[in-house]
Amino acid sequence: MPKLIMTLQHAGLYAGFELRRLWLTRRGLMTLAATAVLWFFLLRYAIAPASDLIASEGFQQMFRDVFGAFGLSQLFAWPVPELAIYWILSLLLLPLLCLFFTANQLCSDLERGTLRLLALRSSRLSIVLGRFSGQMLVQSCLILLSLVATLSLAAWREGGLTLAMLNAAAVIAVNLLLVLLPFTALMSCFSAMVRSSRLAVSLAIVSLGLGFVLLSSFVFYFPDFLFLLGYMPGTQVMQLLPMQGWQTLQYAMLPLLQTLVLLSGATVLLTRKAL
Amino acid sequence: MNTIIQCQQLAKRFGSKTVLQQLSFELHQGDVAALIGPNGAGKTTLFSILCGYLRPDSGNARIFGHKAGSSALFGKVAALPQDAQFDPAFSIGEQLDFYGRLQGLSSKTAREESKRVLALVGLTEQLQHKAGALSHGMRKRAAIAQAFIGAPQLVLLDEPTAGLDPVNALHIRQLISRLSGEVSFMISSHNIFELEQLCNNVLYLENGQLKQHSNSDNTVQQLQHLTLHLEQDNSDAISAALRQLPGLIDLHCTQRRELVLSYNPQHNADFDLAVLQCLAANGWRYRNLTKGQTLEQKLFTPV
Repeated sequence: MPKLIMTLQHAGLYAGFELRRLWLTRRGLMTLAATAVLWFFLLRYAIAPASDLIASEGFQQMFRDVFGAFGLSQLFAWPVPELAIYWILSLLLLPLLCLFFTANQLCSDLERGTLRLLALRSSRLSIVLGRFSGQMLVQSCLILLSLVATLSLAAWREGGLTLAMLNAAAVIAVNLLLVLLPFTALMSCFSAMVRSSRLAVSLAIVSLGLGFVLLSSFVFYFPDFLFLLGYMPGTQVMQLLPMQGWQTLQYAMLPLLQTLVLLSGATVLLTRKAL
Repeated sequence: MNTIIQCQQLAKRFGSKTVLQQLSFELHQGDVAALIGPNGAGKTTLFSILCGYLRPDSGNARIFGHKAGSSALFGKVAALPQDAQFDPAFSIGEQLDFYGRLQGLSSKTAREESKRVLALVGLTEQLQHKAGALSHGMRKRAAIAQAFIGAPQLVLLDEPTAGLDPVNALHIRQLISRLSGEVSFMISSHNIFELEQLCNNVLYLENGQLKQHSNSDNTVQQLQHLTLHLEQDNSDAISAALRQLPGLIDLHCTQRRELVLSYNPQHNADFDLAVLQCLAANGWRYRNLTKGQTLEQKLFTPV
């Protein structure tokens, strides 16, 4: 069997196994429950009341006067206010949650020695790709579930679902997955480096924070290199916030390239690691 | 004879500690090789290099002509790595199925294969149980079972019977013995008795160096051995009488009531009969008389 086909087949098997972990194991069901609780509180105490507020004409006028210059008045262009609030909350929250949810791509298997059993049957590239794809599938499920809940809330308030609402939900889902790609790939790197998911999360937070501070200091003294800040994972989030519709995909290339680089790094790290 | 493992000038260091030094050896198809050595001799490091878990600093290790760890060896080389454990979130059956799928089996065949290999180690009933619900010995046997999924041509076993009760250890030895015609094995163990029963080839590692590489076929015709276990503790008198036998080259007491006699069969073809006659003539009783030396004597007793 050609190597590439075998690698992709193995990656698919790993991804499927991660999906089983979400739906069929106690730990996976706990993750689902935690997500459900989190989104229940967000929907009940943030999205629902905020949607009523946003729907009022007076608030919209006041918001346009204050934030119009930042382009945030575009938020009113979403078909329903629930999706606008969901868009802001998820763009800001999910990258951080992603660091925690996807930290254990390889750590536990490294610690237990399970990777030794896997490495006898598949390449380390397929392990990295498979676990990464698995985590993306898991996050897709969680995003879809929370979007369905938000759409239900909006449909209940509006009295029905419209095609525009479904289209907006698809825009949100695709964009969120694009935003999460480099963060998940970043955790692939850190989980290939250390044997504890907590340490992987700490390393990721410290590295992102330190990287931003160092780069900012560098840019302060050498302003010509300001563009470098734009290459940090998640920097497109601030540009996406005031946008809506499929035009958001104009920022898709950067996270895709970041993901490619980070996954290559994770593969190199795991390949060079003693199991 | 087909070479299955070929190691040339393997070297590995961890920091300032040299674990393997210029290690070279070859194993051939059908060999059941024992890897012996004191703690810290480099056995597990050698295993890890052969499995592709570690890279040597220099030299190379090739299995079936491919670099150790190469994708061409998936499914051909299986191993019981030291301390490798199953994922506690899934049942043993699910994980064995998954390993089978990775080895290219269909879902249905993988499930049948899982049942087959669990039956080999007497764990048929544990298919649906999670690893955490099994005892240490059962987990070890399940880990051995995964090494037999599909049709591996070489199985590397690191301490396969350590931690097993005597009955299950015997079953594992019988399993290895039964499969040893069709599968080549390399077994690392501190149990000399076990290795003596199973292996026809011995690699003795000490301080990362190969001290001995002996093969059971390499019989030196000029020198053969008999190991005599006595019932009484009167080795001195018996030794004195046996020293008079023609053909005897050397005799020494390896432990209480155990004598090892080295002789030249070309000088006395019936040396074993002469020993028995000598014992009978003096009324000395013996427990057993074994041709050859034990592996322990070969490795650790200078003759």
